[in-house]
Amino acid sequence: MAPAKTIALFPEASYGAALNCVGIAQELRRLGHRPVFICHPGFSGVFAEYGFAEYQLSDAEAGAPTDWTDFIERHQDAFRQTPLDQLESYVGPTWEAIVDTAMRVEEPLRQLLARLKPDAIVLDNVVMFPAIANAGVPWIRIVSCAETEIPDENVPPYLSGCGDEERGAWEIFAAGYEKTVAPAHKRFASFLGDCGLKAPPAPNFLDPSPWLNLLLAPEIIRHERHQPLDPKTFLFLDGCVRHEAPYAPPRFASHNEAPLVLTSFGSLGAMDVAMMKRMIGVFATLPYRFLVNAGHWRDDYREVPDNVFIDSWFPQPSVVEQASLFIHHGGNNSFCEALYYGVPSLVMPYCWDGHDNAARAAEAGVGQRLARYDWSDAELAAAIEALLGDTAMHARLKANAEKMHKAAGVTLAAEEIVRVATGAARASS
Amino acid sequence: MPQMTPEPKRTNFRHVELAQKILDVAGERGMAPGERLAEQALASLCNVSRTPIRKALQILAERGVVTADAEGGYLLAVDPVATARLEDTAEGDGESEIYAAILRDLSAGRIAENQTVAALQRRYDVSRQTVQNALMKLAEENLAERGAGQQWLLKQFAISGDAAAKSYEFRLATEPLALTLPDFKRDIPAMTALRQSMLILRSMNETSFDRKLFDRTDFDFHLLIARSCGNPFMAEALVNHHRRRRASPPAGHVNAFRLMQSNLEHIQILEQIERGQMELAADLMRVHIQLSQSQRPRLAGRGVPPAFKLVVR
Repeated sequence: MAPAKTIALFPEASYGAALNCVGIAQELRRLGHRPVFICHPGFSGVFAEYGFAEYQLSDAEAGAPTDWTDFIERHQDAFRQTPLDQLESYVGPTWEAIVDTAMRVEEPLRQLLARLKPDAIVLDNVVMFPAIANAGVPWIRIVSCAETEIPDENVPPYLSGCGDEERGAWEIFAAGYEKTVAPAHKRFASFLGDCGLKAPPAPNFLDPSPWLNLLLAPEIIRHERHQPLDPKTFLFLDGCVRHEAPYAPPRFASHNEAPLVLTSFGSLGAMDVAMMKRMIGVFATLPYRFLVNAGHWRDDYREVPDNVFIDSWFPQPSVVEQASLFIHHGGNNSFCEALYYGVPSLVMPYCWDGHDNAARAAEAGVGQRLARYDWSDAELAAAIEALLGDTAMHARLKANAEKMHKAAGVTLAAEEIVRVATGAARASS
Repeated sequence: MPQMTPEPKRTNFRHVELAQKILDVAGERGMAPGERLAEQALASLCNVSRTPIRKALQILAERGVVTADAEGGYLLAVDPVATARLEDTAEGDGESEIYAAILRDLSAGRIAENQTVAALQRRYDVSRQTVQNALMKLAEENLAERGAGQQWLLKQFAISGDAAAKSYEFRLATEPLALTLPDFKRDIPAMTALRQSMLILRSMNETSFDRKLFDRTDFDFHLLIARSCGNPFMAEALVNHHRRRRASPPAGHVNAFRLMQSNLEHIQILEQIERGQMELAADLMRVHIQLSQSQRPRLAGRGVPPAFKLVVR
């Protein structure tokens, strides 16, 4: 075997990217290499639980911890808006925050990389960090958002939530997006310039890696591109799911034999307790078992129905494996896990690429989209019943899941990363 | 209305507890599969008469842990140190089943803290006696207490979302201290049996890891420290705490990797106790408890301010 390589993985501070990288790191470790994690300030503890070394970036300039209520109050209304309206209320401020972070962690990241001396760096993020480009070792980009993050003439604009057939709306959104992110991009371009780098063309904040780019989008939901991605540097993984210990569902107070439905909107999406309670009210009327991820707000729930179980964390892949339906926010990791286990998705998006995945789920016949706030009890119940009863969709998804398992995305990703780290040429496929 | 199993065949949970004790004793005495379990010897080792021992052995036989010998009596069928704790919610065991259902429903937020026997009887469709016995058992575990009149107060604080964090806080203050009390007395046979179980766990990997065996060694290890500390007040507080911890539904999910690490930490602490290095054992215990607390951020997302912390309520 080739000598062990040190691979530094640097996912953005969100659970989707982090856990996706955990899957790849588990495989790197199995292959005898040494994966280590670089963590954004405040985002640590996740990787150590899986047995990986963590290096947290210091952030001297970040002020005192912010009170969460302020953030939630600021964004709760934005999450009710259309993707177009969110440009100003959410997407713009978020890009400003992302650029701020990239600038603040630059120096600690540079110092850390000099200490770690990795053989390659895996960047699972939406923005470039000059310290990575200047580290003198190859870097690999993971696109853990929806496929729309890599633009193409035939792919709806990133974050637009537009379907293939809504071409009329594409341009309006794309123009709005470009205008919204222009100030952040300008700041970012000048920062990159100071670091001796050329900025990606607006409105992009991250160029493809010249070595390797890994995309998660499985074939069943992939877009027909006008300009196909260069197979030398772009690789679709067809599923990239971490290993979790088997999950034993809790005993419910009723319906213990009934189909299992998982509801999870991610740690951020759990914030709207009132909406979750409304959904749980509908769940109580249906003859199924429901697992609900309440995140930080678990103790806010009282009078929980007998067929509902609420927790603050689930080992998601192991739960999805046993579920008959997954209700989620369109987070790319959740969406890919549903596909990997052949489970239909009911996507109720509230921000970012969740909108794109919601549109794609319906379009590709792997689930349905339901507006997060615009539904009646009967509509939610009908959507759940319809997806659980769609035997043709289930059969198609199960067949596709088998294909995805065979593709062994985490192994492929790990092997390709090691190949880049050793400087070997790509085997022709 | 949940459907519970109707009236019990009456596997008394005390007999299940005794059956567990028999297994513990067999482990401490280094017994191997095939060895005979003598009723009289077990009765004196467990400080009970032969009648309950016979009942407990029947339970072990039903679960395949012992086999009936052609010449009468029972033979051990498993390696006791490699065996997980017996589930005390036997099928058809009305009291234990209601006890477990009450805890599950309380922890899941399905029932409120204040309850009456009549309300629980209605919910679970069982006799008054069964509910009362289940409540008595909860009271023994400090998970319920009698209120005024017909009222019972279920202790939601002990199983709420914050309970795990509060429990670690309590243990961090007490367990290292217990190890350094002047009258701490080592129980060598129990430690030897425990170490064997821990070594079996150490030989497993992430996919083969036996969580139930881990749960047993974890409970037995911490309980052993409590019982050995030599101060009855400290012992009582810790034993109560661990029993309540074991009785409560698991809080959150812990990765197999962390449990494997935790097992290694247990072995290290046990080694220091064996050598009489009690200060060192206490320091390792402090580290062990701190490492066991999840450091995972509670909320994360693109655009969430980097220094963003949830205010703990």
